[in-house]
Amino acid sequence: METVTGRKAVLELRGLTRRFGGLTAVDRFDVHVNEGEIVSLVGPNGAGKTTVFNLISGVLKPTAGSAKLLGRELTGLPAHRITHHGIARTFQNIRVFPQLTVRENILIGTHHWTRSGLLGSVTFWPPTMRAERAAQAEVHSAIDLFRERLEARLDDPAFSLSYANRRRTEMARALAARPKLLLLDEPAAGMNPYERIEVAGLIRAMRDRGLTIFLIEHHMPLVMEISDRVVVMDHGVKIAEGLPKEVHSNPRVVEAYLGRRAASA
Amino acid sequence: MSAQPATLDTETSHPLKRLWDAGPAGWNNALTKPSVLVPFFIVAALIPFALQYVEDNSSWTGTQFWTFLLANCAMYACLAVALNLVVGYAGLLNLGFIAFFGIGSYAYALVASNQIHQHFPFWAALLVVILVTLAFALLVGIPALRLRGDYLAIVTLGFGLIMNDLILNLDRPPVLAGHQFGPSGLNLTGGTNGLHNVAPFPLPTSLPLLGEIPHSRMYYWIFLGALALSIYGILRWRHSRTGRAWVAIRDDELAARAMGVNTFKYRLLAFCISAVMAGIFGMIDAAFVFNAYPDNFAVQQTVTVFIMVILGGLGSLPGAILGAIAFTVPPYLMQQLVSYKYLIVAVALIAVMVLRPEGLLGTVSIRPRKTMGGTVELLTAESTIEATELPAVTDTEVADLEAQSGAIVEDPEWKP
Repeated sequence: METVTGRKAVLELRGLTRRFGGLTAVDRFDVHVNEGEIVSLVGPNGAGKTTVFNLISGVLKPTAGSAKLLGRELTGLPAHRITHHGIARTFQNIRVFPQLTVRENILIGTHHWTRSGLLGSVTFWPPTMRAERAAQAEVHSAIDLFRERLEARLDDPAFSLSYANRRRTEMARALAARPKLLLLDEPAAGMNPYERIEVAGLIRAMRDRGLTIFLIEHHMPLVMEISDRVVVMDHGVKIAEGLPKEVHSNPRVVEAYLGRRAASA
Repeated sequence: MSAQPATLDTETSHPLKRLWDAGPAGWNNALTKPSVLVPFFIVAALIPFALQYVEDNSSWTGTQFWTFLLANCAMYACLAVALNLVVGYAGLLNLGFIAFFGIGSYAYALVASNQIHQHFPFWAALLVVILVTLAFALLVGIPALRLRGDYLAIVTLGFGLIMNDLILNLDRPPVLAGHQFGPSGLNLTGGTNGLHNVAPFPLPTSLPLLGEIPHSRMYYWIFLGALALSIYGILRWRHSRTGRAWVAIRDDELAARAMGVNTFKYRLLAFCISAVMAGIFGMIDAAFVFNAYPDNFAVQQTVTVFIMVILGGLGSLPGAILGAIAFTVPPYLMQQLVSYKYLIVAVALIAVMVLRPEGLLGTVSIRPRKTMGGTVELLTAESTIEATELPAVTDTEVADLEAQSGAIVEDPEWKP
C-alpha cells in the first residue's frame, strides 16, 4: 500500500481483534507502519498493547482481523514462521536464554536464516560449516551498536548479566534475525535516565540502518523525542493517532491517562 | 590501582586453583575438551589389560568380574549420556526413556535368535533396531510432545508401563474383543522368561597383537566406543544450531518460538535421537548378555538412569559419566552389606542433593528457578500473557506483577 507520504507500508493491521472469553483485549485495531518509520504504541497499563505485539508475532492468534507484513498475510502462521518473514521482537520482561552465553543468545537470532543438519554438524559438512561461520560473523555485526558493553561478555552466560545488558543482548538477538520490522516492548523499562538516552540513540541508529520500528513505551519524553508517529490505545481500542505533538494535546488521550475530571480541568 | 593485585593473583595462581575457581561450568568446559576426553577413553580402554597384568602377577582373580562390571558401567554411562540429551539439554522429562532400551534389545533379539527363526546380518539388524525404536519414538513423541513438563512425564511414564505389560503378555497372540491376532503358537517376547540364545555380534574372538579377547572385554570396548561416539555427536550438536535451539527451548520456550525456532520439531528431534541411542545400547546389551529380559523395561531402571544424570548434573556430559560410575561401582564394592548398600547410597545421594542441588557437575538447578523471570515466569506462557494483559486488573496489581517480573514501571518523570 502506498501512503500519502509515498512510503511503503511495512506493517498493516486491519480490524485486529482478540477476545479472552468475554473480554475484548484488542478491538478492531487498525494501524500501519511505513518503511523506515519509528511508530510508538502508548496507552495505560492493560490497554492491550502487548496483546497487539503478541498478535503480530504469532504468540497469540487473533479472533478476527488481519495483520500484513509487506502485503503478506501473517495471521494463522505459527510464530516461528512469522520470524522467518521478517519480524523480530523483544519482550517487556526480558526473555534472554539464561543458560546460553551472550554469543549463543545472539546466535539464536540467526537460527531462522541458517540451515544445519544433525549429520552436517558431526561430519563437518562444508555447507553446515559455512552456515555456522556466517552465523558467527552475524554476531559480530549484531553487537555493533552495543560493542563496548557486550563484546567483553560474549562468552558469559546470560544469567550473569546486568539488567541493562540483558536488554542489550535481547536487542542484539533480535537484530541478528535480520528483521524488516522490529517490535520493541518497553525497551526503556527499568532503565536509569542515562540508559534511557542511550536507548533513544540506539533506536534511532537502528532506524538509520534501514529498520522499521514499532515500539511500546511508557516513558513519554522518550516517546515524544524519537517517534515519527504515535498511536494511543485504551481498553483495546485505538483512541488517537498522529504526530507526537498532536497526540500529546489530544483530550481523549489525557482522559485515558488521568481520568475524565483531569481532562475537563 | 585497586584492580592490579587481582590481575596479578589470577596470573600467578596455580592452574588447578584457577580451574577450581571456575566452578562447575568451567569444569564442564575443561572436561569436555578433546585433550581430556581422548586420553580418558584411551586409559579406560586399557584398564582390562592392567587388570589382567595384576591377575597374572598375583593371587588376585577378579579380572573377569571387574571387566563385566566395567562393561555395565560403560553401558549405564551411555544411557545416562543419552538421557542427559533429552532431559538436560532439551528439558523434556521423559520417564519412559528406558522403554526404548528395552525395545532395542527385543528388536535385536527377535532378528538374531531362534524365537521367530530370523538371523539377520549385523548391519540389517542394526537398521531394524534403529527403525523400530524410531517408529515407537514417533508414535509416542508426536502426541506427547504437545504436552509440557509434568504432563509429558506422566504420558511417557505410562508408555513405559504399557510397554512392560506388553512384553510380559506377548508370549501369546493378543486377543482383542474376542478376536485373536496372529496364529495360536505366536510367541514374540517369551513373556516373563524373555528371549534367550541371542546371537552376539559377529566379531573375532582373537586379534593379532591383542591375542584372545574375552567376551566381556570385547563388549566393554564396544560400549566405550558407543559412549565415545555419543559424546562426540552430542558435543558437536550442543555447539551447533541444533543444540543451541534445544537449550533455548528448555530455558524459554516462548522466546525460542518468537526467535524462529520450530519448537515442536526440535523437541521431537531430541526425543527421537535419545530414543534411538537407547535402542542401539539395548541391542548391544542383548548381544552382550545373550538375552533380552522384561527387566530391561522396569521403571526402576529409568529411576537408576535418572539418578545418574541428576547426581552428575543435568546438562553435563562428564557429570553423566561420573554419575554412572558412582552408581554402579560402589554398590558392587559393598556387596557384603546386602540391602544396606542401598541405604548408604541413598544417604550419599540425599547429601549430594542437599549440598549441591545442581548435581556434582551441573549448572542447572532442579529446584524451580527464581532468577530472571520471577513468579510470572512460573505460569505457562499463555497464562502469563493473559495475566499481564487483563484490563480488569488494577494498575497497582499490574505494576506489582511487573515489579516481580523485573520490568519496573517506576517513572517519576512520566507525564501524559
